[in-house]
Amino acid sequence: MIIHIENVMKRFGNNLALDTFSLDVKKGEVIGLLGPNGAGKTTCIRAIIGLIPIDDGEISVFGIHQDGKNKEIKRRIGYVTQELTIYEEMTAKENLEFFGSLYGMTKEQLATRSLEVAKIIGLEGRMREKTKHFSGGMKRRLNIGCSLMHDPELIIMDEPTVGIDPQSRNFILEFVKQLATKGTTILYTSHYIEEVEAVASNICIMDQGHTIASGTLPELIARIKGDAHMLIDVRIASEEKLKALRAIPEIKEVALENNQYHIIVPGGITIIDKIIAEIADQTIVNINSKQPNLEDVFLTLTGKQLRDEA
Amino acid sequence: MFKFNLIRSSRDIFAHLILIAFPVLLIAFFNFIFKGTAIVSEINGTPIPYLTVLTVGFALTFQIYGSSLSFETMGSDFFSPMRDRLLASPCNPRSLIISILTTSMLVSFLQTIVVLLFAKFVLGALLPSLPFVMAVMILSIVFHQLLGSVIMLASGSVKTANIIVSTYGSIAPMLAGLYFPLPDTPVILAVEKYLTPMALGKTAILGILENNTGQALAGTLPLLALTIGLFFLMRPMIGKVTS
Repeated sequence: MIIHIENVMKRFGNNLALDTFSLDVKKGEVIGLLGPNGAGKTTCIRAIIGLIPIDDGEISVFGIHQDGKNKEIKRRIGYVTQELTIYEEMTAKENLEFFGSLYGMTKEQLATRSLEVAKIIGLEGRMREKTKHFSGGMKRRLNIGCSLMHDPELIIMDEPTVGIDPQSRNFILEFVKQLATKGTTILYTSHYIEEVEAVASNICIMDQGHTIASGTLPELIARIKGDAHMLIDVRIASEEKLKALRAIPEIKEVALENNQYHIIVPGGITIIDKIIAEIADQTIVNINSKQPNLEDVFLTLTGKQLRDEA
Repeated sequence: MFKFNLIRSSRDIFAHLILIAFPVLLIAFFNFIFKGTAIVSEINGTPIPYLTVLTVGFALTFQIYGSSLSFETMGSDFFSPMRDRLLASPCNPRSLIISILTTSMLVSFLQTIVVLLFAKFVLGALLPSLPFVMAVMILSIVFHQLLGSVIMLASGSVKTANIIVSTYGSIAPMLAGLYFPLPDTPVILAVEKYLTPMALGKTAILGILENNTGQALAGTLPLLALTIGLFFLMRPMIGKVTS
């Protein structure tokens, strides 16, 4: 087991950031940690790396108890921070070499490895440029590259695609998939469901500091297999109608986004007349049913739409 | 790490412009106005050219502002998301901070040298006993780099440190009689010579220039003691930030 987390509790004042949180990550696994902002993802990551102490429970990484002081653990982890943590006045090469040097790499190793990493992140032609001139996507790639310099066994990526263009996002997702094929263990957090769907072999959905559900994507979808999902577009939706729909006992969950009600009804759509009657005065534009995906799993299990929370 | 931080400091062109061009301009400006004026030192009556006093005074003054080199770098590393990335590595964070401090001291020293060389070779300032003068200058640099860092680490804010250092940097030269002559009373004279670390540095250097060992030591020893004090104060603060 690469990461073993058992019943971890972490409080910040009155806020319970991790609440009996447990997680196991096996070697070579790409685990997607999914949850809205404030779910506890970053706290979980910081606890795994040893940046914050936990109040209760147990964390071991590479089979070693994580007490925050163990350099052996740190040496084997690559951490991609959510915010850009590169030096903008320095060149890409200088950034890569500096972060590599923090892991005790020699001058020769730094020179060789920085070239390798530059190729991996697609910046081989821009190595001598100051990073302040880079686009957002290039900075993100360099941010990842800096954590790859010491060739870590475990890479922890905390929302690595925040604020970048689709092209760079795809590049990063492809790159994560490539890393996974080489057997690198990856912990990938995001509030973009499609990213987690694309890269993760296992998914852990967390909310309010604890695990809501975990498993492979098919396993998670199977949990809500019997539910019917309806998407009803209206001209002008309202919170009042949302409450009214939630009050219908046969409805399991309702979410509202951009004048579209997403309604989950267990066991198939048998109460469509009731639903239509409730919202008919809002002028229904379109009605659709859909196959459940990870977003629906999240909605069903948490009662929230992930993107709204982000 | 040292090389990286040195390159990093050296690329802060704006800081170099302020810390080199400003004192050079001020020395040149005041020298132009008071050219040829010789003042009688308050210490033992030995006349020292005004240009020399200006050079020493402004070099010391801008070392105060130069303390931002270390605390701003520390702030951007340890009071920002960068902290997590650095602390996630096996590298000892204390060595990172020491590296920032030493490179900032080196850059501040190089800036001081440029100012002194300009004053000596372009304006013709008399600077005898240069090795001893430089020794006090180095002590002053170390003191002010530590001072700025301690203020920043204690307050947890680069902005607060900047305000405090800038205020001190504005008041200290006035209290040391750099901008205008102060009344010749025993109390004011004591303030002028000993109240601020900058004044201690100036007193020590003027003592060296006059071959007045007692005066040189009276400035140097308290400054040394204060520097050692800051060093010991710095240790637990680094621990607080990096743990």
